[in-house]
Amino acid sequence: MFKFLLNPNSFNKFSDTIFKPLVAITSIILVTGLILVYRSPLDYQQGLTVKIMYIHVPSAWLALLTYAIMTIYSIISLAFKIPFGFIINKAIAPIGTVFTVLCLLSGSLWGKPMWGTWWVWDARLTSVAILLIIYVIIIFLNQTFENREVREKTIAIFILIGSINLPIIKFSVDWWNTLHQPASVSKLSSPSIDISMLQPLLVMTVAFSLVGLIIAILRIKVEILTRKNYL
Amino acid sequence: MLFVKKIFLFFKRESKLFHNNIVDLLSNIIFFFLSIFVFVFALGTDEQLLRSIGLGIIWSLLLFSSTLSLRKFYEDDFNNGVLIIFHMSGISYEFIAFLKIISHFLFVQMPFLISLPIASIFFNLPIIEVYNLILTFIIGSLILSCLGSISASMNLLNKTNFSIGSILVLLFSIPLIIFSVGINEYENNFYSLFNLLLGIALIFLGISPWSSGAFIKLALKNK
Repeated sequence: MFKFLLNPNSFNKFSDTIFKPLVAITSIILVTGLILVYRSPLDYQQGLTVKIMYIHVPSAWLALLTYAIMTIYSIISLAFKIPFGFIINKAIAPIGTVFTVLCLLSGSLWGKPMWGTWWVWDARLTSVAILLIIYVIIIFLNQTFENREVREKTIAIFILIGSINLPIIKFSVDWWNTLHQPASVSKLSSPSIDISMLQPLLVMTVAFSLVGLIIAILRIKVEILTRKNYL
Repeated sequence: MLFVKKIFLFFKRESKLFHNNIVDLLSNIIFFFLSIFVFVFALGTDEQLLRSIGLGIIWSLLLFSSTLSLRKFYEDDFNNGVLIIFHMSGISYEFIAFLKIISHFLFVQMPFLISLPIASIFFNLPIIEVYNLILTFIIGSLILSCLGSISASMNLLNKTNFSIGSILVLLFSIPLIIFSVGINEYENNFYSLFNLLLGIALIFLGISPWSSGAFIKLALKNK
């Protein structure tokens, strides 16, 4: 059933069938999300700047999610010798980079009016900056080696070592005293965010992940085609 | 007994190579001192300022100077086939990597120990910080050797982008820097931080021979 996650040919077939409906659904959800963001209430302290959250939080989540997917695929492809994971690693690394940059930029723009500074050496901010550096190194490694096997395995091992950073990012707000606020949504029983703000946030998260998914499908297909010509 | 003799001969060869290349090592130490001078010229000679930031500067410069000679780690042995000869004499690639790490630690990192007290005189560091610096350096340089082994073995087939090896060493040495400089700020839990540093060193001593061995095999297969 989930063969399309591991086999390039099944992936091509599956993505061909879902691609057009996916684009339609994504545009509907993205428009809905933007309207919801426009109509969402202003914060009593932060005013209009609270709306940066609807960009900042989804991109941060997706930056972490992309890295987690790459970690899982690295384990699968190294352990079971499935080369599709290497294709995915190469294809989605730039997407994660873009999400990380979006997260850092929007956070910086939010921090100036709220904290009074563009950047602080806070545990959360620093670990996300290190994540960005790791992503950039992965992209560089993709351009580095001439031999394909060496390149793929090197990148997979590097991704595995770099995944130490993921729990550090997640728990940095709990382990250290940070200026960055702790998680407000992931407390599933009682999220400390009002429903009128939670709704647009979740819709925007779904929209962002679908946009990322569409770009990922396109990039993976291009990568598969390049390799077929190359081999 | 034969195995011990092999190890002994390995170190004998490494020490001979070290004596032949002693100028290389001395240039690393000169680089270290010159960059200290550059820092002092850039910051001014305010004693209080230098004392407060001296330790961090010394550690980061140690990192930079240890990445200078990284390319020598495996490349010569790889290109002239010595690695294969070692392997044919019955030593696994993982154990070769382990021996290489130990010899790099002894012959390249340890000479820096002599230069550390002199460097701390330049920054007027208090004696307790010099003591901590030397203690953390003995462990930290072992971690640096392990990182150097990983990045050097990774770069064996890399013909285009050499600086990526130094970038990797700098990236993974972030925890080392945090704990070894932080050991002075939290004097009352000195031992907990020291044990953490020791733990990181042991983890890397476990991981790096394995991954270096894997990279060397990969490189030999695709040479």
